Amino acid sequence: METIDISVYSLLLVFLLLAVPVILSWVYRLGLIKPLLTSAGRMTIQLVLIGIFLKYLFLWNNALINFLWLVVMILVAVFSAIRGSSMKPGKILVPVFVSFAFATFAVIFYVNIFVIRLDHIFDARYLIVLGGMLLGNSLRGNIVGIDTFYKSLWKDAKKYLYVLSLGATCHEAARPYMKESIRLALKPTIASMATIGIVALPGMMTGVILGGASPEVAIKYQIMIMISIVVSTIISVLLTILMTSRACFTKYGILRSDIFLNKNNV
Amino acid sequence: MIKYNKIKLDFDDRAIFNDFSLEIVKGEKVVLLGKSGLGKSSLFGLILGFIQPKSGKVLFDGAPVDEHTIWHVRQNVAFVDQDVSIGDYKVSDWFSFVAGIKSNHSLNFGEERVNELMDFFELSHDLLDKDISALSGGERQRVAIIVSVLLSRRVFLLDEVTSALDKNLKKKTADFFIGREDWTVVSISHDAVWLDNPNVKVFDLEKKAWKQ
Repeated sequence: METIDISVYSLLLVFLLLAVPVILSWVYRLGLIKPLLTSAGRMTIQLVLIGIFLKYLFLWNNALINFLWLVVMILVAVFSAIRGSSMKPGKILVPVFVSFAFATFAVIFYVNIFVIRLDHIFDARYLIVLGGMLLGNSLRGNIVGIDTFYKSLWKDAKKYLYVLSLGATCHEAARPYMKESIRLALKPTIASMATIGIVALPGMMTGVILGGASPEVAIKYQIMIMISIVVSTIISVLLTILMTSRACFTKYGILRSDIFLNKNNV
Repeated sequence: MIKYNKIKLDFDDRAIFNDFSLEIVKGEKVVLLGKSGLGKSSLFGLILGFIQPKSGKVLFDGAPVDEHTIWHVRQNVAFVDQDVSIGDYKVSDWFSFVAGIKSNHSLNFGEERVNELMDFFELSHDLLDKDISALSGGERQRVAIIVSVLLSRRVFLLDEVTSALDKNLKKKTADFFIGREDWTVVSISHDAVWLDNPNVKVFDLEKKAWKQ
């Protein structure tokens, strides 16, 4: 079962489909024409470039290059994610990156070595593709996690201080907030695990099936991916909170006010 | 027991204290009096390490309060804040949470002791099963007071603890704290039950002097 290629001519027919939103936007004055076309243009250029890049990446299949590329992917993902955070990038950049890299690599290596049993654990097809899946899905959870942790601590400052005054260590007083933020970070993934296959066919499965694999193989990979996402999310959230706490609390165990971009707007 | 030594403290660029000194001796019962904004609560915050002075020192039991000693200080002071919202805890769960803090493990939070204090502060025992957020202000104050007593500390920092209580309970609560000779009690209050008690020394923060 070979995947049917889409010829360049056929791809033009795909772009022709864009006429539908363009006309609708024009008729209803939705103001979407410009952003839509710019985004479609950017997507095309980026995907063409990444297509060429991946082609060579798979061709060379050099362990060091693959590894470095995954590091670059993590860096870009971390940068784009912390832009959405309410915290100062300087305070969280390094901890987020380190915990993210650790969680991603730990899970991928486990999977590559013990589950897929690759001879070549840096194999681009698995390392890059699985890395991308993990990053795309657990980074959001990670940011939700640390954002919630520090925001709720800040909002609940009076109670937090009161618990410190009761003789609690910083860790004891912050534990309820840690618990809540990790739960919140994992909630979407846990929820989507419960409905997967019924409500939506995940992109991973679609890709594997279109790629010519049988649905049986596709579901096995999907199960592996979902569990990997949960595991890497919880590891990275926990690590990030533990690693940021040194910079975000004073030696008296008090949350610093200068960790937020705008403390009045938390 | 507690000594403020030449404290300078700013809050949002406004000077609260400039060269402020005050000493509270072991066993004393002190009321801090003054309008809001004069830094009454800040004096508590300084002992508890919630805020640090720009210059000057706070001494607790002879030792300066710093990042190393602060954890010891917090384990030896009972602080009752003005109406803190605890969140979704049942009263009994809250007692368990406080008892579960490692440094409190040797304390007696047993049923008998809790019930005894509930009786004294005129709280019915079925309150234990209620959510803290569902209690009235006066009930919450008494729950916080009971927690502070269960902690078995010798130094009490009380921020408006009698404000929401009825006349009878105000008197009973103030006398409860004033009556213990070995306790050092600092209370922020405008209630006559504190101010008019002959065993209480009143410090006027406006004049920065003891009231005669």
